[in-house]
Amino acid sequence: MTTKTSDQNRNGVAGFGAFVSSHVVGKGLLRDAWIRLQRDKIALLCIGIVALYAAVALMVQMGWLATPWDEVVSGAYQPPSFASYKTILGTDIFGRSVFFKVLQGTRIAMSVGLVSSLISIPIGVCLGAIGGYFGGWVDDLVVWVYTTVSSIPNIMLLIAIAFLLGKGLPAIYVALGATSWVSLARIMRGEFIKHKSRDYVVAAESIGASHRSRIFRHILPNVSHFIIINLSIQFMTAIKAEVILSFLGLGVQGQPSWGVMIDDAKLELSRGVWWQLAGATVAMFFVVLAFNILGDSLRDALDPKIK
Amino acid sequence: MLAYVVRKVLSAVPTLFGVALIVFILFNTVGGDPTYQMLGRHATAKQVAELRHEYGFDQPQYIQFITYLKQIVTFDYGRSYATKQKISDMILDGIGPSLSLMIPAFLVTTLLSLGLALLVAYFRGRWIDRTIVIVCVFGMSLSMLAYILFGQYFFAYKMGWFPISGYEPMWPERIQYLILPGLIFVAVSLGYDVRFYRTAILDETNQDYVRTARAKGLSEGRVYFKHVLKNSMIPILTNIVIEIPLLILGAFLLESFFGIPGLGSMTIDAVHNSDFPVIKAMTTLDAMLFIFGNLLTDILYTLVDPRVTFE
Amino acid sequence: MGRLKVLIMALAVVFSGCSFKSTEPPNTLHVYVSAKLKGLDPIYTDDLYSGIQTSQPYETLLQYNYLKRPLELEPLLAESMPVLSEGGKKIVFRLKKGVFFQDNPCFKETKGKGREMRAEDFVYSFKRLADPALASPGWWVFEDKVVGLNAWRELALKSGKADYTAPVEGIKAPDPYTLEIHLTRPAYQLLYSLTMVYTAVVPHEAVEFYGKEFLNHPVGTGPWQLAEFNPSSRIIWKRNPTYRKEVYPSVGESGDKEAGLLEDAGKALPLADQVNVQIITETQPQWLNFVAGKLDALSIPKDNFSTVINEKRELRPEFKEKGIQLRVTPLYDTTHATFNMVDPIIGKNKYLRQAISLAYDQETFNDLFYNGRAILAEGPIPPGLSGYSAELKNPYRRFNVSKAKELMAKAGYPEGKGLPPLEYATLADSFYRQTAEYFQKLMEPLGIKVNVTAYSWPQFLEAMKNKKAQIWEFAWGADYPDGENFLQLFYSKNFSPGPNDGNYSNPDFDRMYEHSLTLPDSPERTALYRKMVDLLVEDCPWIFEAHRIGFFLSQPWFKNYKPSDLDHRTYKYYRIDTALKK
Repeated sequence: MTTKTSDQNRNGVAGFGAFVSSHVVGKGLLRDAWIRLQRDKIALLCIGIVALYAAVALMVQMGWLATPWDEVVSGAYQPPSFASYKTILGTDIFGRSVFFKVLQGTRIAMSVGLVSSLISIPIGVCLGAIGGYFGGWVDDLVVWVYTTVSSIPNIMLLIAIAFLLGKGLPAIYVALGATSWVSLARIMRGEFIKHKSRDYVVAAESIGASHRSRIFRHILPNVSHFIIINLSIQFMTAIKAEVILSFLGLGVQGQPSWGVMIDDAKLELSRGVWWQLAGATVAMFFVVLAFNILGDSLRDALDPKIK
Repeated sequence: MLAYVVRKVLSAVPTLFGVALIVFILFNTVGGDPTYQMLGRHATAKQVAELRHEYGFDQPQYIQFITYLKQIVTFDYGRSYATKQKISDMILDGIGPSLSLMIPAFLVTTLLSLGLALLVAYFRGRWIDRTIVIVCVFGMSLSMLAYILFGQYFFAYKMGWFPISGYEPMWPERIQYLILPGLIFVAVSLGYDVRFYRTAILDETNQDYVRTARAKGLSEGRVYFKHVLKNSMIPILTNIVIEIPLLILGAFLLESFFGIPGLGSMTIDAVHNSDFPVIKAMTTLDAMLFIFGNLLTDILYTLVDPRVTFE
Repeated sequence: MGRLKVLIMALAVVFSGCSFKSTEPPNTLHVYVSAKLKGLDPIYTDDLYSGIQTSQPYETLLQYNYLKRPLELEPLLAESMPVLSEGGKKIVFRLKKGVFFQDNPCFKETKGKGREMRAEDFVYSFKRLADPALASPGWWVFEDKVVGLNAWRELALKSGKADYTAPVEGIKAPDPYTLEIHLTRPAYQLLYSLTMVYTAVVPHEAVEFYGKEFLNHPVGTGPWQLAEFNPSSRIIWKRNPTYRKEVYPSVGESGDKEAGLLEDAGKALPLADQVNVQIITETQPQWLNFVAGKLDALSIPKDNFSTVINEKRELRPEFKEKGIQLRVTPLYDTTHATFNMVDPIIGKNKYLRQAISLAYDQETFNDLFYNGRAILAEGPIPPGLSGYSAELKNPYRRFNVSKAKELMAKAGYPEGKGLPPLEYATLADSFYRQTAEYFQKLMEPLGIKVNVTAYSWPQFLEAMKNKKAQIWEFAWGADYPDGENFLQLFYSKNFSPGPNDGNYSNPDFDRMYEHSLTLPDSPERTALYRKMVDLLVEDCPWIFEAHRIGFFLSQPWFKNYKPSDLDHRTYKYYRIDTALKK
């Protein structure tokens, strides 16, 4: 992500010489930010945690880890034991390894975060950019769309879209992607309004840069740090929302997600089976915590306004 | 001023129309045909057709949409398909329980988080600030479902401090049922609020005028309470007003778990039953509250902050 | 944490201290229902829970004897059992005298005093069931059976408004205490339907007075009068002060005396003063409330079963010591997976269905999901109903994977080759999600891939109607204790959206079914039922899964508790032993 943004930056700005470059905060800011982040031990730890989850998710996806998760490893509802690494978190109703299910859940959580971000960020960026840059009736339209969407309770939108697309992972991706672009669009619009009259944009216009070029090659790199901050928040929201949707019966089908595990726990707790709840909750807790702290650190490091 | 308010109110009309359009498209096309459920498993195809006609499901979409728009204006949403009750009555019945859970919980959260935010902002950078912020982040990172399941199991069942679930409409009997869900609400939302308010206050501390005030030799406490607090009220107020409409649906998990017959659990039931009239009513009302909340904030801005004008 | 704990405790003490001087009489029942209620209009109560509640204020012509098993009909508002003539096509009821509706403001002429019930009220109430504008889900009770009622309904449809003054040939009230019903064909099951709350008597004054709000203002002849009603949280029933004299039965089945169920024989009903019904939808709070003594009775939730019941199906000692009673009673239901019989693959391939049925390991299922609280279903009819046979051994329900594999080959899909993934529909909730996973696992050895789609209830019904799946999970609970109620699920004139949701069709079956309708309960009819079951076993339109067994707990102070899933009119028999409860 970081390298790509700086590449765009370089290509986009190369022709304008010293006059423009002093206004280009993108590259320098990212470097500064990285230096500041490196000094922040906790943030580094969080990056490590996120990387670890991502690695687990990837390995599970490739089939190197926690496969097959639906294999019967012991009796039904066996409490955690160290007899085997598979039973370290106990077993579920069919005698399957809860540990494996937690790892599989990691894959789903990370994929939900990733895919929904891939859907929502382009929408948020494009709408915000277009509205902020062009102003006038285009802006009115953009503002109308996002005010409308944000006026409808988020959970109702999620439910409706999940129903509409039938259930399962793709529906969750789209539902979360389609509902979570609003805040980014709002920020982007604001930033574009600020930036479009800045000198470097005016200069770019004067040498004949097209609208598209000004939006995507000039302004966007300078406001891209908001996307990174947003990404961290988006991941966290998506992971939490998946749990709620699964709990409402709209979630993942036929695969073990944390939400499904917590939903199971609803029936199991009173019989003393706490390990599914604990496993899923703890797994979720650490990654959400990491994203939470990371979001703050990124904001501190990237947003020069708050220091 | 009045012209400003009128213009603002008028600007809410297209938003409301957009909401109506989205709600109609989403929920009219999804969620299953309620007829089969209404007639039960002994239904005949003929009865289904009769009922569909009776309820106007066989009318063209645009006519159904116009009917819906009329309902929004008149606040008359008819009767629920699932319960056959009048929706206005259902909402009136649900408001009491919802509010008696949410108002105290929200007040406690807001006061507590404001207090904590002031405290940590005052001691910014010191251990007390760090500790509280870390606790807040920890609290935010736990799933609400975990709070509920754990709270119900441990505090209500194991310790027996609270009833496990249920509700009684009488005062003060109803209070005992609301404490645990209320505390859970506070626990869940405290983290976010403390951090938000802390940032709002710190933002203000970094402003030039604060530096000037300090340079003039005003005591830290005076600067803090006289200037910083007053000015950070704007984002804080905004946050409070914005959160109010979210309260109603925001508690749907709490309500359905603790058996509180409020609007949240009513809405979730409606979703499960494809009870379109109730979904329409609740979503539209919530959106209206939200729009109204925004309106109110805009107007409040102009009152609190002289820099904002009635453009 | 320490301080927080103190704070919480202090709060709890404050609130528990200042409240709860209970204003309820000591002889108050505390029960629950596990779903929100739809309202209390008899013609709309098609779900179990609303049915139970609506049965408290309203009464029907007949009821089930509270104690006898198998269930036996006895008169309730009728003075005696009806006289059947003309080969079962004419039913004449003599009604009890001195039956009054509950006092209610809707009786304006008498300034709120309830008036006496007359046979005309039944004519009116039955017409409501047929009124197309009311769209009652209970219309099937009389549909095509009562002379002239279908025509009355048609007329109402055409004119747009039902004319309640227009006579119906088949329902007559020659005098205030006589009700005559004329049938188009003998319908022996109709007597059972006359215990169902759909057919309860309602006063037209109340319907007119309350209009659409009638569903919140029950005015019946029953022992319980509504004191408070919130469809999503609770109902309170108070004893109806003007209730006529009805007494607790003095004869039961063997064992009832020992169980203390005859102690109140001959006493006037209702025995309790008040009933508080809480609506608790989640099983965890149901269980916890019972353990805390706040509920008098409980159907044991699946996940608490092993904490209460030991391997020998007995109550664990710690519960026995507390005096808690366990009652085990079979439920008249059959859980099943329906095959879509119009599907080109699964509907037309008997061997494929048989193979799936053979591979469906019911015993493990019962252990996992019902804690063994179910018996394997060999056919559609549950034990206790005519047509059930303990000797029946369904060859396609003996769990046998290798034989299932043979059948797969015979079906043309050896090792599952060439078979596209099966579409399986179920409900979106934790229990059904787990059972769907179980089905997927069982089909793996046959090489069958299963795609699961979970729906909300209305979506599920619509998906069934539109045959969006090839197989779906379902259950049927008896409406009345007759095997016919299960056999009708395979009659081709009951195609979906009727109860034959899989659209099973077999002319032989239809002929036998139609013939069975003309027969009274007799060995001949039972033999015919069994022949029909044999046909179904071979055709395999369902995986016959299980008949569930109910395990119910009651507190020591809760008297006369004898659960049954068909008899809903039971609150009047319960009582609290107030001395024990202290």
